[in-house]
Amino acid sequence: MNESLENLKLELRRGCLVLAVLAQLREEHYGYTLRKALAEDGLEIEESTLYPLLRRLETQGLLTSEWREEDKRNKRFYKLSKEGKPVLRQLVEEWRALDESLDRILREVRV
Amino acid sequence: MNMLERYLHAVARLLPKARREDIIEELRTNLLAQMEDREEELGRALTDDEQADILRRHGNPTLVAGRYREPNLGLAFGIQLIGPELFPIYRTVLGMILGITIVILAVVAFLLSRTTHETITLARLLAPLPIQIIVTTLIFILIDRGKDHVLNRWDPRDLPAARPVSEEGPTGRNIFRLLCQAVGTAWLALTPHWPYLMLGPGALYLPAMQVQFWPQYPFFYGAIVALLCAGLVLDFFVLFRWLPRRRARVIELALRGLGLCVGASLLIHGPNYVTSPYKEVANWANETLYICVVIAVAIHVWLTASELRALVRDRHQMLPAGQH
Repeated sequence: MNESLENLKLELRRGCLVLAVLAQLREEHYGYTLRKALAEDGLEIEESTLYPLLRRLETQGLLTSEWREEDKRNKRFYKLSKEGKPVLRQLVEEWRALDESLDRILREVRV
Repeated sequence: MNMLERYLHAVARLLPKARREDIIEELRTNLLAQMEDREEELGRALTDDEQADILRRHGNPTLVAGRYREPNLGLAFGIQLIGPELFPIYRTVLGMILGITIVILAVVAFLLSRTTHETITLARLLAPLPIQIIVTTLIFILIDRGKDHVLNRWDPRDLPAARPVSEEGPTGRNIFRLLCQAVGTAWLALTPHWPYLMLGPGALYLPAMQVQFWPQYPFFYGAIVALLCAGLVLDFFVLFRWLPRRRARVIELALRGLGLCVGASLLIHGPNYVTSPYKEVANWANETLYICVVIAVAIHVWLTASELRALVRDRHQMLPAGQH
């Protein structure tokens, strides 16, 4: 039962991660600071999930990246791309509509 | 940071070659930043246990590398049989097994049809493939079932020592490999003058059998030896890092292209490479040489295609998004 619950929770979070990452990357970050920024906002993501996700979003053209030296160390900085901005806008609209619907549905559920 | 390097090495071994360096560099940066943050928090250097804890939380190298390969692919029939972490490894292993089997079956079928003149049906030829697919899939389903128990039970402190993945540079092993290559090339270059090197005592029968090679043979043989020598020089330059690796790969690809032209010409001229008043001897020699040329060209095509694909993929990786 616990395993099933964990899987359901994972599935629930999976779709939100992309939205959270795209939104957070309106400002430039490298992998570790992005993870910290998300965690500070209450969204903990495993490193082994986040870093490959960044690559995937870059391949899809939603993010851009560049290697740059900071604090005497080369880091790969990611940022929302020009193509990513309208996608983020549409995803946010979709999320809000979904949130409203779910809110109405869940009002009936007693926890 | 020795443990970190061992961890990164374990991940690197399972990553696609073209993106390996880039991904590892990024992982190193992120993990070092995390470790330094923790050190700052504690006000002291991390102990081995604390380093191991960070790496353990980062994940098993096999699963971490798997996530960089293909996104969200898995095998499912109603329920998930092989998850996305193991699926890329399953696909690679299955591809390798089937590829090797198909090559072996093709060669065996070719040899059988030549020697026994027996017709081999496609169904009979391909019969082992479904069994291999089923067995490999079952093994991976079992691994996937127990992956949490197997893959999560690991300790970063037990990871093997890191060695350079690219094996570049004048190491004893690389120098020995280059020497073997040189000896092989010299052997091939000297064989026409001393057939004994290839045929052993059988070379004594050559004059009696009056075997004659076709007239253009010295040109083709010379071209093959020249290409091997050029490859040798190239490897020598790469070994001592006198040539940028990327440029060396382009030159190597050009040499392979020339090699393919030579191979294609040999195939077109085949199988009449030698003549002899003794028909059976000529037939046997021609068929053997033809099979050798077919196998050599097939291997060459495969290597050239792999190299070309890797070069294109590397270039793709180096371009900024939007220019792909």
